[in-house]
Amino acid sequence: MELHLGSYLSWYLPDQPSSLAIHLDSPIALRELVERLKLPPAEIAIAAVNGILVSLQDAQVSDGDRVELHPPNGGG
Amino acid sequence: MAYGTKGRILRIDLTQESITIESFDEKFYRLYPGGKALAGYLLLRELPPGTDALAPENLLVFANGLLTGAPISASTRFTVAARSPLTGAYGESEAGGFWGPELKMAGYEAIVVRGRAKQPVYISIHDDKVELRDARELWGREPEEVQDSIRHELGDKRVRILQIGIGGENLVRYAALTNELRHFNGRCGMGAVMGSKNLKAIAVRGTGRYLDSAHDAQPIADLGRTLGKRVKEHPQSWDLQVKGTPALVGAFNAAGFLPTRNFRQGVFEGADNLKWESYETELLTARGTCYACAVRCKREVRVDDRYQVSDAYGGPEYETVEGFGGYCGVDDLQAVAKANELCNRYTLDTISTSVTIAFAMECFEHGLIGLKETGGLDLRFGNAAAMLAAVELIARREGIGNLLAEGSKRAAQAIGGDAHLFAMQVKGQELPMHDPRGKVGVGLGYAIGEHGADHLYSIHDTLLANPDSIGFKGASPLGVEALPAQQLGSAKARNYAILENWCSFGQVVGLCYFGPAPRSFTQIEEVLTAVRAATGWDLSLEDLLQIGERATNLARAFNILNGFSRKEDSLPERLFQPLENGPMAGTLISKPEFERTMDELYRLKGWDPQTTVPTRARLRALDIEWVAELLEPVVAQRATQGTCASAAGARAA
Ligand code: SF4
Repeated sequence: MELHLGSYLSWYLPDQPSSLAIHLDSPIALRELVERLKLPPAEIAIAAVNGILVSLQDAQVSDGDRVELHPPNGGG
Repeated sequence: MAYGTKGRILRIDLTQESITIESFDEKFYRLYPGGKALAGYLLLRELPPGTDALAPENLLVFANGLLTGAPISASTRFTVAARSPLTGAYGESEAGGFWGPELKMAGYEAIVVRGRAKQPVYISIHDDKVELRDARELWGREPEEVQDSIRHELGDKRVRILQIGIGGENLVRYAALTNELRHFNGRCGMGAVMGSKNLKAIAVRGTGRYLDSAHDAQPIADLGRTLGKRVKEHPQSWDLQVKGTPALVGAFNAAGFLPTRNFRQGVFEGADNLKWESYETELLTARGTCYACAVRCKREVRVDDRYQVSDAYGGPEYETVEGFGGYCGVDDLQAVAKANELCNRYTLDTISTSVTIAFAMECFEHGLIGLKETGGLDLRFGNAAAMLAAVELIARREGIGNLLAEGSKRAAQAIGGDAHLFAMQVKGQELPMHDPRGKVGVGLGYAIGEHGADHLYSIHDTLLANPDSIGFKGASPLGVEALPAQQLGSAKARNYAILENWCSFGQVVGLCYFGPAPRSFTQIEEVLTAVRAATGWDLSLEDLLQIGERATNLARAFNILNGFSRKEDSLPERLFQPLENGPMAGTLISKPEFERTMDELYRLKGWDPQTTVPTRARLRALDIEWVAELLEPVVAQRATQGTCASAAGARAA
């Protein structure tokens, strides 16, 4: 799967990537993926899987998905 | 004399060709410590209500804040204010860059310009030496050339130049000012006011140091170092530096509230081409900055491909990327960069320009204007060439450009029919690229803001939705509540009121919106430390909020005297209608709920909900009871005439 990290979410990962390719053997909860990557859930305001908005709590992701996560954004 | 300022205002009458310096004392500065507070005070005191914004009598104020030029990141801003030719209301616009700090080093807190020069002039300031110089040769020339010429003429490469291009000369009602060619006082048409005065530029050189006027230099110097180190260690400032504001395109598009095709839609199918990743590969050459700022959020660009984009005028920010991008239905980032370059070259506000062009596109698609009116331009959404041609026409006031240079509100009145439904403006000023259907507090700001629709009146709701987020934690000293972004009601009104005071305070003292929490990385206590060290005043956070609130009340009083009332504190009808596409399709703002929230907001502000006049008690609490003396006779007179909300004559700018 392809994971896109919007705005400052990249900052939390080593090397601060804005996207990552992740291989998943089987579908997992998005929440678990976020935990594995050590992303702070409180900073995830928008989660979309294949262009559809999802809830961080309930969504499942599979290999081949395109996942987008964004933090709360201010103005400017 | 107060610390943190030299306590001097430079007054220039261009008609009389007179230059004088006036001093103010500490008591005055405590109430009006620069920026929008000082500008608001001067305009309210000195500009007779109803003055034509483009007449010589209008006052053009350039005001620093008490922290402008302090050697800490994001402390660079200055205000330009006047009665706005776009709105007829109190007009102001802030910019960063280098000019404000240089003016501070030259020893002035503000410049007040009135009158009209017989022929084009520029003002040259070198510390105490101030002169008016001939600018006839500079009129009509482009900012890059003008900057070089003035530096050459003055024999000083380090002189900082604030100037207008042909947009200001041609009195485009949303003309901007530029300093160092890439920092803009964009909003409210301050460039047109400058053009109406035959004033091409203000060149400044100062040899002072900010810290010499500070009460206690050490804490400020320490904070400067701490913040410089923190930029990369704090997610929000890291983001501003590395990805910059264009990163918002992807986030808003995913969330479904990216302003698209004149606020009809929330998702733009071509958004991938506008995202910051594309920006990096297609446009970016370097990152830029403002005076003493380690954030470096500015973008430098150059394109030599489908379009030729000069590297002289800086790169587009989010507002411009989206304004000339999805908002006009254009998915070519190079065309967007070209539109940005043209606006910067001609000094046009990119927000009002793009929103006015999108307005014209919708009128064109509805047949309200045709090829005859556009001079053959096929002004449909998505036509990048037509969009760029429209920018050229606006700057020169040629063909359809002459109508669009009036702004969308006036253009809609001239076109007639349903055109007014497509003019996305408040008080005549075009909406920025933030859809209040996704964050309703932004809509409260658009409606109630003194100078028309603006996205920097307050903190966007999204930052305060989650109590565990860094945004919310950064705001916690302000005593706000965590609330869903789309929720209206009294708690939202309360949040808005507090955060508006906080942002207004920043505009008074000269802070960039990308400095303080909760938007960014400077903690609220650190701002307090800086203000205390600069002034020696024993201030609390409450005091800072009061400084912000006082400034807003001055601007509100100015508007009331100029005929404004509750009726003008409104949103375009379209925002009360559903978004057409994407994950938020069907979402709208409930009008009754919005109005109830506004009622609560007036109550919290201590303003009459019908007339919006601040109560004497609130003005007294803010230490500006003199404002009540100005307002009460006018309000009483309008009440007897029963015309409280319709001083139409006075409103015409
Ligand atoms: S944060 Fe960006 S815009 Fe603000 S002062 Fe720094 S470089 Fe300028």
